[in-house]
Amino acid sequence: MSETTTPVSEFAFSMKGISKTFGSVAANEEIDFEVRKGEIHALLGENGSGKSTLMNILSGIYQPDSGTVFVGGERKVFHSPKDSIQCGIGMVYQHFMLAEPLTAAENISVSTGGFFVHHKKESAAIRAFSEKYGMEIDPDKLTNQLSVSEKQTVEILKVLYRGARILVLDEPTAVLTPQEIRALFRVLRKMRDGGCSIVFISHKLNEVMELCDRVTVLRKGRSIETCDIKDIDAYELVEKMVGRKVDLSINRPIPKEDCKECLRIESLSLRDPDGYVKVNAASFTLNHGEILGVAGLAGSGQKELCEAIAGIAPVESGRIIFEGNDIAGKSPREIIRMGVSMSFIPEDRLGMGLVASMDITENILLKDYSFQPGVFLKTAPVREKAERIVKELEISTPGVHHPVRKLSGGNIQKVILGREIHLSPKLLITAYAVRGLDINSSYTIYNLLNEQKMKDVAILYIGEDLDVLLELCDRIMVLCAGEVTGIVDARSTTKEEIGQMMSGTRYEELKGGVDYVSNH
Amino acid sequence: MKKVLALVLTTVMLAGSMILAGGCSGTDTKATTEGTTTGGAETTAAGGAETTAASGDVLKVGILYISPKDDGGYSQAHAEGMAEAVAALGDKIQVFELENIDDTDAQATSAAIDNLVNEGCTLIFTTSYGYMEPTAAAAEKYPDVKFCHCSGYTRNDTNLDTYFGQIESARYLAGIVAGLTTKTNKLGYVAAFPIPECIRGINAYTLGAKSVNPDVTVSVVWTNTWFDMDAEKAAAESLLATGVDVMAQHQDSPAAITAAESAGAYAIGYDLTYAGAPKAYLTAPLWNWGTYYTYKIQQVLDGQWKVENYWGGMKEGVVKLDTLSSLVPDAAKTAVEAVQKDVTEQGNAYVFKGPIKDQTGAVKVKEGESLSYDDQMSMMWFVDGVIGEIPTT
Amino acid sequence: MFQITKRDELPTWQGVLIRIGSILAGVLLASFIIAILGFDPVKTFAALIGGSFGSSSALINTVTIAIPLAITALGLAIAFRMKFWNIGGEGQIIMGCVFATFVSHNMPASTPGVVLILLMGVAGFLGGAIWALIPGLFRVYLRTNETLFTLMMNYIALCIVQYLHFVLWRDPAAKGFPKIKAIQEQAHLPMLFGVHIGFIVAIVLGVLVFLLIRKTKLGFEIRVVGESAPTANYAGINVRQVMLTGVILSGGIVGLAGMVKLAGAVYTLSPSITGNAGFTAIVIAWLSNLSAPIMLVVSVLIAALEQGSQVIQIKLNVPSAVAAVIQGLILMSALGGEFFLRYRIVRRKREQSKSQKGDA
Repeated sequence: MSETTTPVSEFAFSMKGISKTFGSVAANEEIDFEVRKGEIHALLGENGSGKSTLMNILSGIYQPDSGTVFVGGERKVFHSPKDSIQCGIGMVYQHFMLAEPLTAAENISVSTGGFFVHHKKESAAIRAFSEKYGMEIDPDKLTNQLSVSEKQTVEILKVLYRGARILVLDEPTAVLTPQEIRALFRVLRKMRDGGCSIVFISHKLNEVMELCDRVTVLRKGRSIETCDIKDIDAYELVEKMVGRKVDLSINRPIPKEDCKECLRIESLSLRDPDGYVKVNAASFTLNHGEILGVAGLAGSGQKELCEAIAGIAPVESGRIIFEGNDIAGKSPREIIRMGVSMSFIPEDRLGMGLVASMDITENILLKDYSFQPGVFLKTAPVREKAERIVKELEISTPGVHHPVRKLSGGNIQKVILGREIHLSPKLLITAYAVRGLDINSSYTIYNLLNEQKMKDVAILYIGEDLDVLLELCDRIMVLCAGEVTGIVDARSTTKEEIGQMMSGTRYEELKGGVDYVSNH
Repeated sequence: MKKVLALVLTTVMLAGSMILAGGCSGTDTKATTEGTTTGGAETTAAGGAETTAASGDVLKVGILYISPKDDGGYSQAHAEGMAEAVAALGDKIQVFELENIDDTDAQATSAAIDNLVNEGCTLIFTTSYGYMEPTAAAAEKYPDVKFCHCSGYTRNDTNLDTYFGQIESARYLAGIVAGLTTKTNKLGYVAAFPIPECIRGINAYTLGAKSVNPDVTVSVVWTNTWFDMDAEKAAAESLLATGVDVMAQHQDSPAAITAAESAGAYAIGYDLTYAGAPKAYLTAPLWNWGTYYTYKIQQVLDGQWKVENYWGGMKEGVVKLDTLSSLVPDAAKTAVEAVQKDVTEQGNAYVFKGPIKDQTGAVKVKEGESLSYDDQMSMMWFVDGVIGEIPTT
Repeated sequence: MFQITKRDELPTWQGVLIRIGSILAGVLLASFIIAILGFDPVKTFAALIGGSFGSSSALINTVTIAIPLAITALGLAIAFRMKFWNIGGEGQIIMGCVFATFVSHNMPASTPGVVLILLMGVAGFLGGAIWALIPGLFRVYLRTNETLFTLMMNYIALCIVQYLHFVLWRDPAAKGFPKIKAIQEQAHLPMLFGVHIGFIVAIVLGVLVFLLIRKTKLGFEIRVVGESAPTANYAGINVRQVMLTGVILSGGIVGLAGMVKLAGAVYTLSPSITGNAGFTAIVIAWLSNLSAPIMLVVSVLIAALEQGSQVIQIKLNVPSAVAAVIQGLILMSALGGEFFLRYRIVRRKREQSKSQKGDA
């Protein structure tokens, strides 16, 4: 199907035989990827499967080592993102690129070029344009006053407004509530019906199944399968992504009957260094042998809550009672010694919890050395421990003296979690433990957590994926803007309920009365 | 591919370095007989001078300069003097020079002296005041080496003496020139440090100027530098801005002269003739060290070394006033000529002859007396007519 | 177009080769310049090497120059480990000397040398430590930029010593010449093999700093704080306390370097007592990758350049400016080599203006 024979193509664009290597790593190998006009096409693959590279080639950021890109049947060579944009390709990234002090309209019209800006005219045009696709946005609002979903809308509008007919959306739902996701899907469908082509990148299979028309699966830099969504189910998709059969159900042991209370938070409030309230009068309890999940949009106070319990962030008011003692105001080291362990995986994985340039042994030493007597470090016993952790958690590394910076994301997270578990904590706080991990590693970590739970460890699990929270946890606490909007039984609640609480609806309002789920 | 290239390159360079290292064994003791000649001639001398160097008759002389020896100032004056001695004494001596040795860094100074002794020097001149203590320490450490230190006061009984000159005689004459050239009666003087050497110079200059023009004042700014074009230029400009129309200086850079020329004023130089400012340069008190170095080295060659406190003046020819430029008014020329003979004969004794009052008007030197050598060496007061302060303890 | 990208770590032997290669490249480059200026490069380098290592007296000079450089570098490296950019070596050396001189001036002449030297050592450490602690406190409690602060502290220290030199401590016995009285004679460091025993201090400190960083809990904490303050905080490390302790050690050792130079080689406090060691040592610390044993070696090499450059002036009548060019080129090439160890230059077909996302 070359350009010469079919100048008018059924495809919006097609990428043929794309290869791209970085050093010795082949990020893309002979990938074929074709998207039809007027379809929503899912691009699936685990981290490192080559999705980002492929999309960066489409957007002109990278040039392929070999292979060709056709747009509308015509062969194109993109030297820079500008060339790609001129071909009507628009990217909507996970991280927004908006000029904060400008209004929504200004951000949108800036991208169309031209020297002068006609505020009123532009604003009206944008309003009309957005209504066409069923998007709700006030063009005159300042960008820094927009909510996350509104910012995303602006990003999409920005791309559409400069005439893009091909949209690439990179994990657009990661920052949205279920309600907002539904609204987004409506817009995307409208765009499709208007003839746009959409590439939809997501980790969430149910969304893909619901929204998309066709799907292409990448694995290890190769395209494995392209087919209609209606011809495939989620299990098959996972199998294709991972390369083998995977059991998607998480085993959830029933907590023991007579578990004692481990942690009690009483109207805890705290601010960040800039003075913004991050946690507002939060109260909850956590028992030994229980996993309490925490759901909430990114930045709802999860990090600050964890840090307060670990003694890192100062508490403004309220009490943190751990096994009967108020630990608010104690130093992190005292809290560690009492048996509180925290593994917090930030976005960059290495920002807190690990020292990137140090090896596995030294990173495990990080939590152990202060227990050693004397002035000198003793590494020998820790080395054994490191070897044990590497073995138990199947961390793939050339050795315990390998710098953690050179490990893959999953292995890095296993090092952190392994270290924390091996301190035999009474309370284990784990945030985003499976962030960015492939499915297999994720399940290893779920199993580890369940093991700990059965050892009577109290676990506070801060999660991102609602499906996982629903399957793994015993109870789920929902945070919104630093406030606890509800605590529900994970076995009986629904995603819908949690979604509403995530967006600020209190459980009481939801149920029309006070009906907190009591402790077991 | 790149790695291979890098490897090849490194190998080549490694091999090169071995050749270099191999070449280093034989060339240790060769040096030039005429070390002071500047330029590229010395490489040829390195091999050919072997026989004279080995004969043992050659006196190896070392000398330390505080700045580059072509600094157009103090160090160049010494270097030219040493070149004159070499010209006079020929291949009886071999001179080793080290330039740009910070005189306030005792460790660097000691290392420099060590290196000269190591090279076989048995007579070493250290040309800046700050070298005094390391020189004294070296004199103790190397009893067989003779040391002459310029401008200091530490001597011992055997191998350390001092030399300097009565530059103030020339400064006095320069003061006469300035006093009769100025129209505003405001003279400016940028000086290095508030130390007796500089204060003496300022006083001599002021006395000279006032001897022909009682209304004149001399404003002083300290720069705390010996050679810093920027600082010295800025200091001169600050004075010129107050209406000063003749600048004088006691540092080794020509910054004050060029600043004066840009401001349309006149200037008195120091150390050497300065040809770079024909519209400003009047004259300068000059050093003529060749006289001294020839004398002192000859003394050692003759086996007549003696510890002395050499303090030559215009009579000996160590200091002089530069030929007056065409900018100098005839009146000034006449006035200089009138006292030239007495100043040459009597030196600083003429300059610091009483009565001399200090800034407060108190008489410091009575009528009919002259300031003693020791009092000159520790002079820490300004004469009447100087505008400026000496920071005191 | 060319683009600079970070390089994966190289195997040790390749790193060593690149380092040696880059120094040789500097030698080669310097040789061209020497030749252009009409001197013989082979003779010049032969004289340089022979003049710094070729005889015992040359070696003594080289080691004497190396001592303050090495000790200063050891001190600075502790701060650099914590990513505390201590550019204040000059000021800390000066204050170390000021404190040590103060002790010497105020102890009775009957004080035994050992006692006096030890007291001066403590004073030197204190002087440097205080001078580093001031910016340290501001950094820790007020988040002030320590690079600028420590740099400014250099100038304050310089002004202080100038004031002492010209006014407050001016020796009245110096016939009006501005100078500070030399330290007491019994405070001079004893000599061993013709070098003052500062070289033993440097070696001992080298071992101690190595042990501190690699084998002690404090050293571990210092490394963690330097890598990531949030991680240190999370691990229960009192970041402020560790940083201040590290800064005190850093400044203290640098101050001690000053005291060693004062009591070992110079004997008199003056405004130029540092001989720029505070800055040269920064280069030494980084060329050595902050490793204590390597710092000792690199200090000797840098000192050899310094010493050798005097010898080529004497032997070949090479002007000091040319000697400085040779030193500079070799140092620059060595530093350039460090760049190539960390980065490589990649050729690209066309410029990439926006690379918003990394590769997968």
